[in-house]
Order: sequence, then structure tokens, then C-alpha cells
Amino acid sequence: MGSRVQRLFLALLLALAFPLPLAAQAQDPLGRVITPDLERRELTEANLDEERFELGVYYGLLSIEDFGSNPVAGVMLAYHITEDFFFEANYAQSKAQETSYELLSGAVELLTEDERDYRYYSLALGYKLLPGQMYLGDRRALNTHVYLIAGAGNTQFAEQTYFTYTLGAGFRLYALDWLALDLGMRGHSFRHELLGVSKTANNLEARVGLNVFF
Amino acid sequence: MAPTLKRAWWCGCLLLLIGWSSAASALTVTVDAAYIELHAGPGRGYPVFYALERGEQAELLKHRTGWVKVDTRRGGQGWIRAADLAHTLTAEGQTPVLPSARRDDYLNRRWEFGAAIGDFAGADALGVSLGYRMTPHLAAELRVSQNTGAFSDSQLYGLRLLHQPFPAWRVSPYLAVGGGEARIRPHGILVQGEDRQNNYLEAGLGAYVYLSQRFFMRAEYRNQVILTRRDSNEEVNEWVLGFNVFF
Repeated sequence: MGSRVQRLFLALLLALAFPLPLAAQAQDPLGRVITPDLERRELTEANLDEERFELGVYYGLLSIEDFGSNPVAGVMLAYHITEDFFFEANYAQSKAQETSYELLSGAVELLTEDERDYRYYSLALGYKLLPGQMYLGDRRALNTHVYLIAGAGNTQFAEQTYFTYTLGAGFRLYALDWLALDLGMRGHSFRHELLGVSKTANNLEARVGLNVFF
Repeated sequence: MAPTLKRAWWCGCLLLLIGWSSAASALTVTVDAAYIELHAGPGRGYPVFYALERGEQAELLKHRTGWVKVDTRRGGQGWIRAADLAHTLTAEGQTPVLPSARRDDYLNRRWEFGAAIGDFAGADALGVSLGYRMTPHLAAELRVSQNTGAFSDSQLYGLRLLHQPFPAWRVSPYLAVGGGEARIRPHGILVQGEDRQNNYLEAGLGAYVYLSQRFFMRAEYRNQVILTRRDSNEEVNEWVLGFNVFF
């Protein structure tokens, strides 16, 4: 009994006499092994540029049903949400020609000059697929991908607004990783009654665009 | 003369490129894993053309949707996954991390953009919204929508408040109240109506559905009362479905 009390007392004395070196020896080497002293460095826009937006201009041919094929010019702004998905907003202008009926009859005019202005805007969601490369000679490889896009918007034509669905697909060729050539097809479909009866028009658009990422 | 000119042109281009790339301060990292794959483009489908070895250095140039463009001494320029940055060290021995967007992040992110289509009492509706999250539960939202119908078109400009009782849920319901101005334009062909400008009030019930990264789907049903100058107000029921992105 006495020896146990003595031993306890001795141990306490020892612990009090050399507390620091013992504790340091016990903790330091193990501590390093178990929790490596790794700091994380959060990267910000200031030290690493982020490219999520894409701005482009395009020019092409818009076939306005019953009103001929017409040049179309537009602008687009895209926001890349993930590696695969992007939002795209488009705005474009065109001008409709005379219908075959107007041309043949000679005198009839269905629409005035101002009413032939055709403008549309659309908001769409795109999906990128089939990534790949194209080769220029044996030295340069250009990145490419295909995209599918679907959206909705409004068309102003004949001084009326038509709710328009847009479906399309396109091909992207990246000259540089921030500069791309866009070859696209879009179908803009809406219902109108301009010719007396209600009909669905699907206005096909073929376009070439130049886009910049920033 | 021609080769000199050509060389001068290339030098000019090079200087321009250097100027362009040095706009952001360079950050060099050292690979701290067995290897890191270098892709030809910012996407998992682009071919891997080089593998960075342990100890090899790479300069970070820019990033786009989960990919980082790097410049390496031996492999040239290419793209690595942002997640692979966890296997690198900076000169100070730190692990660089990109602020990647996760589901719980959206409670801290302030801004939100959305686009939606729907049915506005028979008319086709298309709207965009810009939201600002004041607290995890409460957000303010500006909304502009264009409704195209058989007899009239209308535009709504409104401000609303959204309350999410359970913001951390993957499918998170919300309540919305708001108001604004409705501009209604009857179609000229059918009835010779006048353009009207009326105020409106709205109440809505909807839900956020988290899809991935910074991407949500949002569905909502709302009841709008257009305060007309006639004897009775107009009541319009609308449902919309759209996508939202926070940043």
C-alpha cells in the first residue's frame, strides 16, 4: 500500500519536473505524421483568369416561309454553366421579301415596307457533344465539338409578336482556345395568320459566326 | 525582304500574345502525384497528349468550367482538370484550390440568373429573372416576362420576394410574393383595343431542384391579379418551368 502511494507521488513529481520535454517528444513527431501541415490556397479571379462568357456575331441566310430567303445578322452571348451545358441568348434582324403571290399579281402588297422587318430574340440551353480535333497539316490540331440547342423566344414580324421555339445544332472550330468559328443551323418555328389561315412556319437559318471567350 | 517582314509579323503576334497572357499574374505549381494528364481541350473527351510527372512544373494560365489551362516546359500548353490541382503544390508548399461551385455554395452566393418558359392563361410566356439572396432563406428578384397570346401580348416588369423555408434541401420549396407593372397590347386585327398599363400583384408557390454545380431547375405556379381601371380586376394563373444559375 505504502509503495503504491510512493510510486504515485514519484510519478507526479516526475511529471511536474519534466513536463515540457516529454510532451513535446510525444506530440510533435506523431502530430506531423497524422495531420500534415498542408495549407490550401484559394485561387481567385485576380491570380487566375476565368473564361465563362462567350460573345459572338453571326451572319447567314434566314428562309422566312412564304417570304423568301433573306440575309440575317445577329449577336449572341453565351454563359458556360458546366463543361457540357451553356445558356445562349440571341438577337438578330432580317427583312422579308415579297411572297410569290405578290410578285405574280404585280399590284398586291400584303405587308408594308416597315412590316417586312423581321427581328427575333431567343434564350436557349445548349449541350456540347462529340469533342474532337481537326488537323491542319502535320503540325497544328484544332479543337472542335458539336452542339445541340433548344430554346424559346419571340419573333417580331409584320408588327406582331410571335412566341417562337428554336431548335438547332452546330459545329464549333476553335482557332485559338478563346476564338471560335461557329457553323450553325437553327429552326425557328411559330404560328401565324398572316395569309388568312393559321399556319405553323418553320424558318430555317444557316449561319456562320465568330465567337470570343472572355 | 519578304522573310524579314514575315518574321517581324510573327514577332509582333508573339509580343501581343505574351502581353495577352501576362495580363494575369503567373502562378507556377509543382506536380505532387504520380502523374497528371494533360488534355488538348477543356473537356473530358479531348485527347490526352502528355502526362505531367511528379516534380514537373506547370504555369497556370486560366480556367474554364472545371478545367485549367497550363503551360508546361516539356509538354507545351494543355488543359488539366481543376480537381487535379489538389495534387500540386505552389512554391510556398500550398495546395491551390479553385473556388468550385457545390450545392451548399448557393446559399452563400449572392446572385442568380434564370430563364423560364410557361403558360400565362393560354398565352406563351418567356421570362428572365435576376435574383439577389439576402439571407439563405430570403431572396429578392427582378423579373421581366413577355407573354404572347392569341388575342393580346403583354409584358410584365416586377419585383418579388422569395422565401425558402428549407434552403438546404435538394428539392427546396419556396413562396413568392410581389408586384409590378403589366403592359398589355391587344392584337389589332381582331379588336381595336388600346394599349393598357396596369399594376399587378402576385403570389406564387414553387420549388428549386438542384441539378449540378451551379445549375438549378425551377418550377412555379403563380396567381396574378391585374389591377384594372374597370369594375373588376383580372386574375391570371400562370405556371413556368426554367433554369437558374447562381454566381
